[in-house]
Amino acid sequence: MIKTIELTKVFRTDEVETTALNKVNLEISNGEFVAIMGPSGCGKSTLLNILGLLDNPTGGQLFFMDNEVSRYTERNRTNLRKSNIGFVFQSFNLIDELNVFENVELPLLYQKVSSGDRKKRVEEVLDRMKISHRKKHFPQQLSGGQQQRVAIARAVVSKPKLILADEPTGNLDSSNGEEVMNLLSELNQEGTTVIMVTHSPTDADKAHRIIQLFDGHIVTENIKQKI
Amino acid sequence: MKDLCVPIPNFGDEEFAELELKIGKKKIKYSFRVVSFPWDVEDGLLVSGDELEISLARIYRLKKEIEGYDKNWELIQIFNPSENADHIQVLYRKK
Repeated sequence: MIKTIELTKVFRTDEVETTALNKVNLEISNGEFVAIMGPSGCGKSTLLNILGLLDNPTGGQLFFMDNEVSRYTERNRTNLRKSNIGFVFQSFNLIDELNVFENVELPLLYQKVSSGDRKKRVEEVLDRMKISHRKKHFPQQLSGGQQQRVAIARAVVSKPKLILADEPTGNLDSSNGEEVMNLLSELNQEGTTVIMVTHSPTDADKAHRIIQLFDGHIVTENIKQKI
Repeated sequence: MKDLCVPIPNFGDEEFAELELKIGKKKIKYSFRVVSFPWDVEDGLLVSGDELEISLARIYRLKKEIEGYDKNWELIQIFNPSENADHIQVLYRKK
């Protein structure tokens, strides 16, 4: 699904040049669950943003579903992203002014899905995430665990092939964190590829493979289980 | 509550820390090791000594040490070394 060849990202200001990713070679297959770990500032989120087509690398190549996308324009990246990738963030990133139903509906609006289909799909996914009883509530009226379930519902409502999760349990207690990890594992078992950045060894244990990143380099890969 | 932070005193490279957690009647045992690997040392890897070469040499040393480490232990975390440190600390957990 994803392949990088010498993927590099350099951030430049007038005075400083920082290499966030240094010739990263990586291959992720369909259906894999991969955890990316490493200390703060090692390039984890930069890598996730580039793999998720939110940012372009400054060097190297990135293949997404067999297309070389590293030089895609913003518009092309957006088109590829909205039909193939779902994002889950540590701080949920729900829109406070929209209720639960409307937050989850949003990706389908961008995809111009018909109103009837949208209603059906949003209700299905809210049922699945056990949050349909809160569909008229606004994010601020929900607990952290409920907000993350809504965020996962929003990430999966468009049936993406890939879910990218950046510290998905970072703001949750152990019980809600475990629930979120179980949901990600379930989605992976149904065929969705999952790439997750985490500091938690317990969460990383759910992955097939753990990649340790340091100073913009992959220093080791630990295969936990074959897919 | 998700994590408990347990303060531990410094311990040697050849030692390991064992933690036992008891929840009700259930006991969970963890064994951890913090290992120091060479980071900024004189080992003949540097020729020109420029920043890029120094950085690549550090990563090369770290990769080599991790590759060669006891496979009964799994790498959990690499800690950011402090400024001018000659060694880097790595946390392992017994498999």
